[in-house]
Amino acid sequence: MSRPVEIDVEGRPLRLSNLDKVLYPQVGFTKAAVIDYYTRVAPAVLPHLRGRPLTLKRYPNGVEASHFYEKQCPSHRPDWVRTAPIAIRSEDRIVDFCLAEDLPTLVWLANLADLELHTSLSLATPIERPTAMVFDLDPGPPADVLTCARVALALRDLLEPLGLEGLAKTSGSKGVQVYFPLNVETTYAETKPFAQAVAQLLERRRPELVVSSMRKSLREGKVLVDWSQNDQHKTTVSVYSLRARERPTVSTPVAWTELEAALEAGDPQELAFDSEAVLARIAERGDLFAPLLEWEQPLPRL
Amino acid sequence: MPRSIWTGAISFGLVTVPIRLVSAVRRQDVHFHQLHAEDGARIQHRRFCSVEEREVPHDEIVRGYEIEGGRHVVVTDEELERLDPERTHTIDIERFVDLAEIDPILYDASYYATPDGDVAVKPYDLLRRAMASSGKVAIGRVVIRTKEHLAAIRAVGEALTVATMLFPDEVVPRDELDAPAASGDVTDREVEMACRLVESLSAEFEPERLHDERRERVLELIDCKARGEEVVTEAEPERPQPAPDLMAALEASLAGARDGGGGPSAGDAGGGRAAASPSSRSRA
Repeated sequence: MSRPVEIDVEGRPLRLSNLDKVLYPQVGFTKAAVIDYYTRVAPAVLPHLRGRPLTLKRYPNGVEASHFYEKQCPSHRPDWVRTAPIAIRSEDRIVDFCLAEDLPTLVWLANLADLELHTSLSLATPIERPTAMVFDLDPGPPADVLTCARVALALRDLLEPLGLEGLAKTSGSKGVQVYFPLNVETTYAETKPFAQAVAQLLERRRPELVVSSMRKSLREGKVLVDWSQNDQHKTTVSVYSLRARERPTVSTPVAWTELEAALEAGDPQELAFDSEAVLARIAERGDLFAPLLEWEQPLPRL
Repeated sequence: MPRSIWTGAISFGLVTVPIRLVSAVRRQDVHFHQLHAEDGARIQHRRFCSVEEREVPHDEIVRGYEIEGGRHVVVTDEELERLDPERTHTIDIERFVDLAEIDPILYDASYYATPDGDVAVKPYDLLRRAMASSGKVAIGRVVIRTKEHLAAIRAVGEALTVATMLFPDEVVPRDELDAPAASGDVTDREVEMACRLVESLSAEFEPERLHDERRERVLELIDCKARGEEVVTEAEPERPQPAPDLMAALEASLAGARDGGGGPSAGDAGGGRAAASPSSRSRA
């Protein structure tokens, strides 16, 4: 095992340990490679993390060993890591969530083997106000990412006439997530029932393709349109987060035309991006998810 | 091959069959880790000396039996071994009985006995065949670790199985149960009806068709929680059930948007959009 390395990131001293530890054994992707990825993707990912309570999902012994979630920002954090106190439901206590707002924090998190970054749909203040509405499309085998692409396009077409434009990203795993930027006054009490009604309507219109209930038994060959993440107490994997899969795949923004092209080609690999591919895409096309933080779209009054 | 937990011999008249016992049970319980609720870290169990206030390695730990408040007699493995060397390595068959004579409440743990070494194969096979043809169960005694058990040996297919059994004084007597006494007002007719119900539900026992449904539900719960990114301590949220008319309203709104190039609700939505959003509806 390599010795810890002391480095300085933007004036913050950091001690990086076990850099040669392999976190993705199938491809030999080490902790050093994870830190390198998050360092290079920082300019694109930081705007999406800024101000949002972050839930860590840590894999200290790699993706094939056990992991744990961490909401409470670790007590051994450096004093410059920013946190936000948030009340946790069903417990009379406040949890200090990490806020990943700068490169040193991102590197520190990567050093904790926090492979996956899961964020709230709200900023820490006001925590009651989601800045987007999300649908997590999760395929039940033999449905796959292409089936999800089909459902994502149906979802886009459903809400477009109501003045809501969506953005799609791969989950980095098997699914697709569709975000509708809001960035206006709203609450989860508005977005969650609306999202459920949308999912139910989609299920009614495309029963051969869509389920809106979590019951796994219903999902075979279909796509679960999970609306329930529109909740103050839930998180969704962040755009540009690595996933703890066999390869270091990334939750990657994709243009609608790319979903259509992948469907046309019938090739699920067109919707699988690893860390290198994502960095190349950002260099070439910028952050396709930038509108998530900009577009102001109120939910239609029904 | 599972690890053997006991090595010795079954002794049957003049025949000695060297065997190993391996557990016949593979627990499929859903295994939980204990976590610290604050930070999700794994809880460790450490052996801690109450006087020195330090963690103690295995090789510094001995077994003590409390004889009176705070005073212990230390007993070593070797001493236990010397106590009854025969029985710690031999299952003496004392008699053969019919399986139906054994009250299942006595059964404790199940093991397979496998022949220990090539020399054991022939006597093992001899014992197995004799038991299979007689259809009897052999009863003996065995000491596993510090505890003596009754043992029931049976021939099952190509193998011998050993079930350890409780001694009858280890079973709680029924008169110690704090249960209400039977009432005498059950009628013969009721009994007859119940018997008919039993009759109608009688079937072959097919355990291979049964499985642990509770485990499947627990695993499904875990799956759901993992998928919803719900973490350690939080309770499953209550789902808001949208009024059924919300979906109807959505549908009506969509119909309006299609027909009139934007109903009142769609117009509201479009009007609120900031300049940063795309001005046309062209697809990205």
